[in-house]
Amino acid sequence: MSDFAKEKAARLLKKRGSVSSLGSHDVKAKETAGKTKDSISTLSYIEEPGHHEDNPRPTVQMENTFQLAPYRRFPVLTVNDILKDVLSSYLQEEKYEAELCRQMTKTISEVIKARVKELMVPRYKIVVLISIGQLSDQNMRIGSRCLWDSSNDTFSSHSFKNSSLFALANVYAVYFE
Amino acid sequence: MDLFQNGETAFDADDVFGIIKESVEGTMGGNIFQQNRVDQWTSNVVELCLSQLSKLGKPFKYIVTCIIMQRNGAGLQTASSCFWDDTTDGSCTFKWENESMHCIVTVFGLAI
Repeated sequence: MSDFAKEKAARLLKKRGSVSSLGSHDVKAKETAGKTKDSISTLSYIEEPGHHEDNPRPTVQMENTFQLAPYRRFPVLTVNDILKDVLSSYLQEEKYEAELCRQMTKTISEVIKARVKELMVPRYKIVVLISIGQLSDQNMRIGSRCLWDSSNDTFSSHSFKNSSLFALANVYAVYFE
Repeated sequence: MDLFQNGETAFDADDVFGIIKESVEGTMGGNIFQQNRVDQWTSNVVELCLSQLSKLGKPFKYIVTCIIMQRNGAGLQTASSCFWDDTTDGSCTFKWENESMHCIVTVFGLAI
């Protein structure tokens, strides 16, 4: 009888042990994501969030860079290609429908922002503006004007049209010192 | 530089809203849709907004867009998505309409 109890306890212990090791493994996998396997980093991963709650944005005193111009100008042509690509791939087959287009404007603006961010142009703020409208013989005019430094700030624009709708995508890139 | 480091650097949407409202109503108020004047209206609205915004004298760069559309039952959706510093930068949208047209003005303010 006591033997049986011991065995059970051992099994329970083993089970618990395996569960906990699985748990820690999970955390590690999430944290390192295919990089080096460092057991210490698991600890930092757990500690980080609690630390962040106390002080959401620690102010970091940066040294002056004395840099006046961007490292790399904003690649307007590449962004133009992105706009062309995203607009035509999302809207080529679509018919105008209010609810769909409401969703579509949000999706497309997010997608374009993500694609532009992927270019990793440092020191630029990005504003993406999408308009989708129905084509029904109406007249309309979209204009924009900016107060900015024209030597560094720039924009990219593309319009798209199919049988039932039109779409306009504008990306403004504003240099941030 | 200290001048720009105090609390005044945040984008004040209420101020901007007033400016847009004034410029749109000043330009469009009482008019009905006329195709040949739309060009004029769009540039007037945008121009007025910008000149008023610059008079605020804040360290901001501004982007102003204006959409004027004839009202005939056609739908229009717009959305924007931005990558910027949430604490200082902001946007403000104003929509105006009468029986013959819609006018949507959006201003983005980005701190320098």
